[in-house]
Amino acid sequence: MVDAGNMALVIAFLVAGYVPVASFLGAWKRIPELTVSGRYGLYTVPALLAFATLAVVNAFIRNDFSVRYVAENSNLAMPKAYTWVALYAGNSGSLLFLALVLSVMMALAVLTIRRRLPYTAPYATGLMALVLTFFIGVMLFLANPLERLPITPADGQGINPLLVHFGMFIHPPVQMTGLASVAIPFSIAMGALLAGRGGRDEWVDMGRLWGMISWLIMTAGLLLGAWWAYTILGWGGYWAWDPVENSALMPWLAMTAFVHSIMVQKRRGMFRMWNMVLIIVAFTLAQMGMFINRGGPVPSVHSFAQSTMGWLFLFFMATTLVGSMAAFVWRMDTLKSRARLDAVLSREGIFLVQNVLFLAVAFVTLWGTVFPIFSEAAQGTTVTVGRPFFDRVNGPILLVLVLLMGVGPLLPWRRASPRVLVRVLRLPVSAGVITAVVLVTLGLRQPVAVMAFAICGLVVAGILHEWARGTRSRHRKGEAYPVALARLLAANRPRYGGYMVHLGIMMLAVGAIGSSFFSAQRDLAMRPGDEETFGGYTFRYLGVTSSEFADREEQVAEFEVYSGDNYLGIMRPFRTVYPSFNIAATRGAIRSTPIEDFYIVPSEFGDDGQAVFRVLVNPMVWWMWASGPMLVLGVLFALSPQRQPAPATLRVPAFVETSRV
Amino acid sequence: MRKFFEKSTPRASGLRTRSLTVPGPVLLVALLVLLASACSAKDDIPADERRAQELNRVIMCPVCPGESIDQSQNALAVQMRGIVAEKLEQGRSESEIKSFFVERYGDSVLLEPPRRGFNLIVWIVPPLGVVGAGVALLLAFRLLRRPVRAGDRRPPDGVQLSEEERDEYFRRIEATLDLEPTTGSLADGTPEEREKRGDG
Repeated sequence: MVDAGNMALVIAFLVAGYVPVASFLGAWKRIPELTVSGRYGLYTVPALLAFATLAVVNAFIRNDFSVRYVAENSNLAMPKAYTWVALYAGNSGSLLFLALVLSVMMALAVLTIRRRLPYTAPYATGLMALVLTFFIGVMLFLANPLERLPITPADGQGINPLLVHFGMFIHPPVQMTGLASVAIPFSIAMGALLAGRGGRDEWVDMGRLWGMISWLIMTAGLLLGAWWAYTILGWGGYWAWDPVENSALMPWLAMTAFVHSIMVQKRRGMFRMWNMVLIIVAFTLAQMGMFINRGGPVPSVHSFAQSTMGWLFLFFMATTLVGSMAAFVWRMDTLKSRARLDAVLSREGIFLVQNVLFLAVAFVTLWGTVFPIFSEAAQGTTVTVGRPFFDRVNGPILLVLVLLMGVGPLLPWRRASPRVLVRVLRLPVSAGVITAVVLVTLGLRQPVAVMAFAICGLVVAGILHEWARGTRSRHRKGEAYPVALARLLAANRPRYGGYMVHLGIMMLAVGAIGSSFFSAQRDLAMRPGDEETFGGYTFRYLGVTSSEFADREEQVAEFEVYSGDNYLGIMRPFRTVYPSFNIAATRGAIRSTPIEDFYIVPSEFGDDGQAVFRVLVNPMVWWMWASGPMLVLGVLFALSPQRQPAPATLRVPAFVETSRV
Repeated sequence: MRKFFEKSTPRASGLRTRSLTVPGPVLLVALLVLLASACSAKDDIPADERRAQELNRVIMCPVCPGESIDQSQNALAVQMRGIVAEKLEQGRSESEIKSFFVERYGDSVLLEPPRRGFNLIVWIVPPLGVVGAGVALLLAFRLLRRPVRAGDRRPPDGVQLSEEERDEYFRRIEATLDLEPTTGSLADGTPEEREKRGDG
């Protein structure tokens, strides 16, 4: 089956390479059969890749160590359930996985646009297929997961033990999918541009849909990564401004800007040129993310092995950037705005400021990430640009962005007169001021933290006030409060879905502010029977139990934990050593409540019975993880289809043949 | 004060609307009390440990990719943490301790490039970037604004209202939306309802 899988990969490559040719040629020369053929070609690729993936999975299950990838990422002792992780643990497997998921999403995307955007669809299809061809090509020629070894080893190397955790099951595939999925809104926008339809705004609905889907997947990937780092890596933190983290953050920032400014284009026909540039930037950053991840020039805890493949990604990124900008300049005259900006102080104006600020954060992040390379080139010595730089520079900008997030939705389109401004901001600002005053009275003295929390209070008050007003208004017409609220939300899903997403972001912000400013830790040496107090918790070290397994040694410590006089339970942090991998993995014991997390990590176990533990109290972290479901809910709600009036029928010229599929 | 929080427009029928005056701020204060209590754990850390932690967070572990000695559990990192604690006890200042490590491992051992020479560029570029963004924004606003010419008073789409007229207009719309319609075709109901009642 391995050989059949290999064959499937080759065919997938050829077919994916054929699609752009057929689609572009068919659209340009007005040959409907060619565009249909191209589209069907794209539909075939997922099936082929799925078959190849099945071949890899099959090889894992049968422990076929003649396949290099299986030998490198599994062994006889590995439970079959880990096959899922092993599938994308290595470079080549992850490429296959990525290509598969991407091809499925692209097929779905083409299905959604083929009737709605008959002129744009062939170009969009061709562009998507070009990206797909690149991935399949790189995989086929440089990192084939079905490549055979010259000699079959008796046993494989096994999977990296750090990867065997629930978070690892989901974070990498979601993150990779998120980055690659930016190709879809990019292709739709570029397709419209190439087809000369960039100024008609018909692509905006689909651009927004796939932009938000891509944003959601990227958000999930980032949150899952932070959660995994926090729960498994044992240092009590969730974001380190590591180069790979940064490279995943930058396209997210650009995409956040995009999903907002695309609404201005939908609503007022403005920002047409800006949105094109923005989606190009987003895609370029996504490609850069993939480059840095796969063997780029900056070392990180994350990267796959340093390899030349990274430079191919860089080349692809440069090519798409140059090509897109050329297309943009060529078609720029089709992108004139329909309307003008009436006033700076308006929703459109706020959106523009917000966009620029998001890109400013992306720029600062990029700058900090690549500066070590400049420094090495210019001075010969390397420097590190780490957390202090990013926190200090990005922190204020992000805070301003949160403020804009609260104020923007409250402003009207076109113009907000000073009187309207006061009326609309009265309540939120009062809530913010109350927050600041109360917190200072209660003893919080850090000015930045107080201001940050005050802004959070402002934003949340603004959102909840809007909901309350709308519910009250419906209630006065006779609906009971719960019914009124439900109907209010359902009647205007994009708006209220957006509010839900903003609430989710506020949960994230509150968690991040609380834990960044007020996390406390201590390193304590304890013997069995010792008792210590920290942050309101009292904990007694009961002792450590060592167990030996075939592939690892585990040392599990036990603690009795009290909060004041309340007995909370037993916590068991542990440390595992994998001698064959030369890795020691520590797993903290975490007791999480919405108020704070109590976190114990073992540092080292001495031979004389004394052990060193790190104890942390992290406020509000729970809210960061709780924001995930809220964000998902909000996006799905905002995207859920509403009963639309019947669209005007589009007279389709003969050359754009609509096939059955 | 109460007026400040309530809607400023009285209803035509005399109904007063209660805003979130009472439950809102009370809930807010209660939440803030909880929040403040969560943020007090830092006071439990002895002052010298706090200094040590802050230093540990800005010194990199030379053999671990991208981790500070505070984060890493590597043996070398643990050793370096011990050195930091020791030197603080001896009374050395933060910059002396940092220089100690830089002498041995180079500038890259610090999480923040030292602010001299070429490295100043790290800090200069972001503010320049923000200024540039500001300039770009101003230009964008200029370019996108509706151009106002001397004789061009009336905008092409609609009548120019003054602020007061505009606000009065909106007030009336709001008032209409909040009440049951008493006049006009909407008040008569849907055709089915009219038939049921027996109206024409």
